[in-house]
Amino acid sequence: MTTHAVRIWDWPVRLTHWSFALLLPAMYITAENSEWGWHMRLGHVLLTLIIFRVIWGLIGTDTARFSSFVKGPVALLTYLRGGYPHKEHKGHNPLGAFAVLALLGLMLAQVSMGLFAGDPYDGATGPLNPLVGVGTADFLTETHEWFFWVVFGMVGLHITTVGLYGAFQAQNLIGPMIAGKGEKALSVEDNPPAPWGRALGALAVSGGIAFWVYLGAPLLT
Amino acid sequence: MARTPSLSVFAAVSAFALLAACSGGAGNGAEETAEETAAPAGDAPAEIKQRQDNFEAIGDSFKAIREQLETDAPDFAVITPAAADINERLKRLPDLFPAGSSMEAGYDTEALAVIWEDPEGFAKAIENGIAASEDMMAAAATGDPEAVRGQVGNLGKNGCKACHDKYRVDDD
Repeated sequence: MTTHAVRIWDWPVRLTHWSFALLLPAMYITAENSEWGWHMRLGHVLLTLIIFRVIWGLIGTDTARFSSFVKGPVALLTYLRGGYPHKEHKGHNPLGAFAVLALLGLMLAQVSMGLFAGDPYDGATGPLNPLVGVGTADFLTETHEWFFWVVFGMVGLHITTVGLYGAFQAQNLIGPMIAGKGEKALSVEDNPPAPWGRALGALAVSGGIAFWVYLGAPLLT
Repeated sequence: MARTPSLSVFAAVSAFALLAACSGGAGNGAEETAEETAAPAGDAPAEIKQRQDNFEAIGDSFKAIREQLETDAPDFAVITPAAADINERLKRLPDLFPAGSSMEAGYDTEALAVIWEDPEGFAKAIENGIAASEDMMAAAATGDPEAVRGQVGNLGKNGCKACHDKYRVDDD
């Protein structure tokens, strides 16, 4: 099949993706070493990027939008039965779409629990800790402490699957996530470039929300 | 280039098996990490685990008291024994910090070496905690939730937090 290099992933998608790849181990390491100041600062960066990715999934470029890649279970089953023409599609396949939702959802759940975690008389507390009772905070703290295994399990699944596509399908999924471009059939057109103003606007909004959370979500209560 | 069913199934099955393995091994994984960080020769002193369990229990009892204060009718059948438990467990602390069992010695603990560099200060911090826990017991004996509430801040700040700020890793 004749192919050509097309733009697949815009820079906000790639930047958030690799930021997640760096931030998740950093969150683990800072927690293991009781570096709570850094753990919480990086946690707010992570929160910013998760919110940004969700907003970008609504207003971003074609391959970034949830509406373009999130398909129902029927499409997923059809995909798993085989015959999906990968070269004729750019962006997430129906199985990868679930991975995107799972990774974002699990990270958001983990970060959200961290915001309520801790005990004011026992070390660091997340900025929203005062909003919940002692028992709730304790439950969220303990869940936050083991739930990262679920997040890392999903990351492991994601990395394994990417490896399997490379090994058994000769599909290089990593290159396009770095460079943005990949080889596709001639019928496949470029993903449009990311509109800078829109991306920076989304980043400002998500950073604003994370900063508001950092301040303890004032005016909410 | 067509995707064969067998490969798809293989990919899906192996991927979910990995996930299951990861989540199933969660508890063991945490323990392994803890053991790896304990670098010094020989086993970690038993007191490290004992004091960690003891502090966990103190925290649970303190939270039990504070949880009751969040209810409309605080239950003194919970508060009174919890206050006594805190007091009893704080009294065990002097025996649970053998020399050299610090974080700096390479053990998986948040106990700082300053505990043994400043033994008088550490002993005093424990005494302050015991005194605050006795005040809490006295407040519980009155049966007045407001008296207990007043002692939560005293015990939390002057007992727990004052000692943690100085003798435990706590970077926030």
